[in-house]
Amino acid sequence: MATQSRSLADDIRGRSDAELIDLVLARPDLARPAPADLTSLAARAGTRASVQRAVEALDRGHLQVLEAVVVAGDAADRDSLLRLLGTDDAQTVDGLVQDLWRSALVWRGADGDHVVRTVPEVLGTAVAGLGAPMRELRPSARPEEADPAHIAATIAAAPDDSRAMLERMTWGPALGVLPTASAGRTTARWLIEHHLLVPVSTDRVALPREVGLLLRDGRLHRTTELTPPPIESRQVSLVDAAAGGAASECLTHVDELAAMWGAEPPRVLRAGGVAVRDLRATQTALDLDPDHTAFVVELAYAAGLVADDGEVVPVWAPTSEIDDWSSREAGHRWATLALAWLGSTRAPHLVGRRSTGAGPANALGPDVQWPAIRAIRREVLRELASLEPGGAPAPDSLRERLAWRRPNRAASLLDEAVDAVLREAEWLGVTGRAALSGAGRALLGAGTPSTPDETAAPPVDRVAGAMSPHLPSPVDHILVQADLTAVAPGPLVGGLGSFMRLAADVESRGGATVYRFTPESVRRALDAGWTAADVTETVRRSSRTPVPQPLEYLVSDVARKHGQTRIGGAAAYIRSDDASVLDTMIASRDLAPLRLRRLAPTVLVSSADPRVLVDLLRDNGFAPVHEGLDGAVVHSETPRRRAGSRRRSAGPTVSPVDRALTQALVDGLRAGEATADQRRAADEARPGPRIQAMDPIVTLSLLRDAVADRHGVWIGYSDGHGATTRHLIHPQRVEGGRVRATDESGHEKSFSVHRITGATLES
Amino acid sequence: MNDGPLIVQSDKTLLLEVEHPRAEQARRAIAPFAELERAPEHVHTYRITPLGLWNARAAGHDAEQVVDALMTFSRYAVPHALLVDVADTMDRYGRLTLEKEGFADSPEGTRLVLRTTDRPVLEEVLRHKKIKPLTGERLDDLAVAVHPSERGTLKQELLKVGWPAEDLAGYVDGEAHPIGLQQDGWHLRPYQQHAVDGFWHGGSGVVVLPCGAGKTLVGAGAMAAAQATTLILVTNTVSARQWKDELLRRTTLTEDEIGEYSGARKEIRPVTIATYQVLTTKRKGAYAHLDLLDARDWGLIVYDEVHLLPAPIFRMTADLQARRRLGLTATLVREDGREADVFSLIGPKRFDAPWKDIEAQGYIAPADCVEVRVSLPDGQRMAYAVSEPDERYRLASCSDAKLPVIEKLAARHTGEPTLVIGQYLDQLHEVAELLGSDVITGETTVKERQRLYDAFRTGEISTLVVSKVANFSIDLPEASVAIQISGTFGSRQEEAQRLGRVLRPKGDGRTAHFYTIVSRDTVDADFAAHRQRFLAEQGYAYRIVDADDL
Repeated sequence: MATQSRSLADDIRGRSDAELIDLVLARPDLARPAPADLTSLAARAGTRASVQRAVEALDRGHLQVLEAVVVAGDAADRDSLLRLLGTDDAQTVDGLVQDLWRSALVWRGADGDHVVRTVPEVLGTAVAGLGAPMRELRPSARPEEADPAHIAATIAAAPDDSRAMLERMTWGPALGVLPTASAGRTTARWLIEHHLLVPVSTDRVALPREVGLLLRDGRLHRTTELTPPPIESRQVSLVDAAAGGAASECLTHVDELAAMWGAEPPRVLRAGGVAVRDLRATQTALDLDPDHTAFVVELAYAAGLVADDGEVVPVWAPTSEIDDWSSREAGHRWATLALAWLGSTRAPHLVGRRSTGAGPANALGPDVQWPAIRAIRREVLRELASLEPGGAPAPDSLRERLAWRRPNRAASLLDEAVDAVLREAEWLGVTGRAALSGAGRALLGAGTPSTPDETAAPPVDRVAGAMSPHLPSPVDHILVQADLTAVAPGPLVGGLGSFMRLAADVESRGGATVYRFTPESVRRALDAGWTAADVTETVRRSSRTPVPQPLEYLVSDVARKHGQTRIGGAAAYIRSDDASVLDTMIASRDLAPLRLRRLAPTVLVSSADPRVLVDLLRDNGFAPVHEGLDGAVVHSETPRRRAGSRRRSAGPTVSPVDRALTQALVDGLRAGEATADQRRAADEARPGPRIQAMDPIVTLSLLRDAVADRHGVWIGYSDGHGATTRHLIHPQRVEGGRVRATDESGHEKSFSVHRITGATLES
Repeated sequence: MNDGPLIVQSDKTLLLEVEHPRAEQARRAIAPFAELERAPEHVHTYRITPLGLWNARAAGHDAEQVVDALMTFSRYAVPHALLVDVADTMDRYGRLTLEKEGFADSPEGTRLVLRTTDRPVLEEVLRHKKIKPLTGERLDDLAVAVHPSERGTLKQELLKVGWPAEDLAGYVDGEAHPIGLQQDGWHLRPYQQHAVDGFWHGGSGVVVLPCGAGKTLVGAGAMAAAQATTLILVTNTVSARQWKDELLRRTTLTEDEIGEYSGARKEIRPVTIATYQVLTTKRKGAYAHLDLLDARDWGLIVYDEVHLLPAPIFRMTADLQARRRLGLTATLVREDGREADVFSLIGPKRFDAPWKDIEAQGYIAPADCVEVRVSLPDGQRMAYAVSEPDERYRLASCSDAKLPVIEKLAARHTGEPTLVIGQYLDQLHEVAELLGSDVITGETTVKERQRLYDAFRTGEISTLVVSKVANFSIDLPEASVAIQISGTFGSRQEEAQRLGRVLRPKGDGRTAHFYTIVSRDTVDADFAAHRQRFLAEQGYAYRIVDADDL
């Protein structure tokens, strides 16, 4: 450890490899881009942006110690730190200071600890709610006015109302507005006259740091919280079973969402996202509350199972991934969802909230993006993992712990986010009965503390393996009842599940699913190509109970009516009362291209145009007449041809900006870049001096001199593409912002003065 | 994984697998707090509702027991949110209590007080616009005086805002009157005795028993327990007469002690039977017979067919909260959704036994339910297709295509007591003519009705065509075949009543037959589907038969 350092750079240069690794791990932003040497590492560690990040990542304990180091001033001894923190736990404080040193917010000189110069800037003037030091507020102050003993004496002598005013400002903010009432003004004036308050503007006063500290009895914080507040928890049982149940239900929800959106995908709003109405329809179909629906939708999106299809009229549709996903084993499917959730930067709980000046945020819309949620999610899970297995935290204490971990976050936003994460974890099955499940632990990778890199995901198989034993095992049978319901006493195996979803309506979800057969649902199955016999047979085969007669009756009753009426397309018909004429037509080989089809003994249809039909039949010796829409004969003495109205061509299609396109664009940019480099190199290779950019006034006077002296001049000239080239010219006159000159090849040319970047006389 | 018989769904329904070895145990554990919603043959559906949970609280169960029952019998993990919700909901009952304070012989007398154990709750409810005016002087942080006349309305309003009050204010004893059960040759069935006990210990409340399970006897038992003057409210005059007959037969009461207060007679005696209709009759905008309620110091009020209780009676009942109230019904489901008013004004459910259970005990007859579908002739199909929507039901259900089927069914059951039930008078008369039987409609005089019912009961006539006047409270124990030819738009409650007609136990243990005749591919069939669903949910397997296959 360096003890002789005179600066942060010195300190860092003196660190061992292990310490440097610790530093970079603690502040990963220092590694990107890789600094060239330790000096530049130190320089970067001292930049405001980097320090800001580091300070924001501090928990309350570290932050309080850092504030104490700042207030104590350079090279303060440990006792004054302890005094400021109001604790005698030197060991804890030393540990925290050591952490701050490790992350290079504090450096060690020969005389003691120093904070990095930018830290006070980042913390602002109001460190821990204290005001600025006396000498900053009043440069003219005499040193003894900042002396604690002097201040204490003055305060002791203060009138009661003045002391009360001071007490109101004790715990910050250290800035106050002067009272308007004359009594209040008198009180304040006494304080100002005795330098306990310092006026900073006509109506504001500040409480100097020294006075504030004294009022706080020398302590910096009202409550010193160097160690995290404990999380209260109670032990619950059956955690994994509960999580398994929730996980299974979550999979069902995603399945149903995919089935629903696959059939009727909702439109993508112009601003992105799903319309409120579509989300509500989804909610009704899934039978969930609005928050839960938003979660399911966002989860499917995060896992890449639904996406904007990128068509001209874009819709949210299941992606091709979903087929692969669906075919996998349940534990694996869950692991995919859970990992996507853990890594997602989207915050489903924001759906429906109003952001400032805008309507409610739409699901899958841009307003739901909130990168901070990812860190909060991990932190919440980490806190849960820190409890004994089976420990369910009291939400209040968990919120407090998170607030301690992230003192810089807005408390209300954080609390809301913590609640949302707990809720979502429960829905997903990461927790069961509020305690972290085994699978949740595997998800967090709690067993492998050697991977502190946040982006390293535990392998999907390990997570799947942890969840699989707790998922309810799929069942391959249903119980059909006389009231036309069928109960699946667990998640159904794939094929049966999709059959039931098709042929019956879901009435109740949970560990089991209750389906109801209705005429509409049975018709749906028939529409999808099932026959009545198939439906009945599948139900019979899958049912543990005898199929009730009313169900069979229902299926056959619907089948009886199904397809009673048929609809098809034809361009023309032929009718004749003489069926034998039609027989001949059908038999005729010459008429085969017309593809005549018999609908009834006296009616044929064809997909050919009526006019073609008439012509062709006439050619073959028949004598057809053309019939109008009303059935009357249309006579045409002289054929009058009209062009059919032109079919409107389908609108132009726009190819979406995809990876290939972008790649091509980037390739182009690269090629352009390379050409520019070559040209620059070629330009460099040409004879002539380097031309410095210069003021146009200087350039003009130089050109005028050259005209007068008939001297050659090298100029830098930017062409129409913005490239600057060098030319050797012999200027003849300068007028109207232009230079007439002969160039190297002897041609006379005109150059605009404003394009000349610089000039130098030919040597 | 636990291999229990119960599956707890996220929509708060409970699925109970009936064939499971522990099913009966589970049923008993969940019955106090979950309403049986459907009871088809294999899987019964129960629903957890706030009212159900509060019913359980009123019966002395706590959240711990409910959660324990769910956890013990559930096959899968019970959703955490549901458990939390159960505990929260149950915790709301009893935070507020209505109590009587002071002593009857003290100068101030007694007063009614709304008391809480949790001050914020009291503050919250007192801030409600509708509740504030019902209360009087604030007594202390935890109590507020209540006008005795607002006892019912207050309970109603408190339930609406989700803080049901436990009524501990007790009841007046009323004018004593000796009433005893004459158990000679018969006894209260065990479940009837349980119902009486459940009611009496609870103070006030509703007993749910299927039609034909002897609700009148439960009423008589309650009167014998109360030993006080009783006001019995029934749906109509015929039903009033039947109550009277039954009371004369089963109790020590004599003819002189029982009065009838109806459109025809206005007798007020120690036991008075009044109809809903006469109570709700208005003259010059005021209820003309309201005095009846105060005519005597009633010790017990019995409401027959609570699910039909008209709205004005609710309002009157709100003023009767100091008297013991017994509600009798076959179903707590009200077509108008006023279940909450029944809970707050009559009282919580005190006893409940599912149909199938009582049937299994042999107290009501097993039933064979058949739906017969007839095809309309082409001419009628045409007429149906072009008719106005509000005409369609009548057209479809009154089709004369049904007549041959009715004839065939009547012939099949010749000699068995048969009821033909319908809605449209023309149709009823037509059918009566066809079968050569008598018809009872709303126009039939009470005397004539009584005569026909008696004749039917004695077996003098075997077929009777009745309109919906017969739906309620007419005891026709010997009917073993019911043929329903038209009905009110698939009302579940109507179905319950009609099925009840044929479910009385038969002397020889015969199976009862219940036929419904519907026209295929019409609204008639759609409505029939609703009604059948109800039957299936009650556990009655039914069949659908084409008229031609009969």
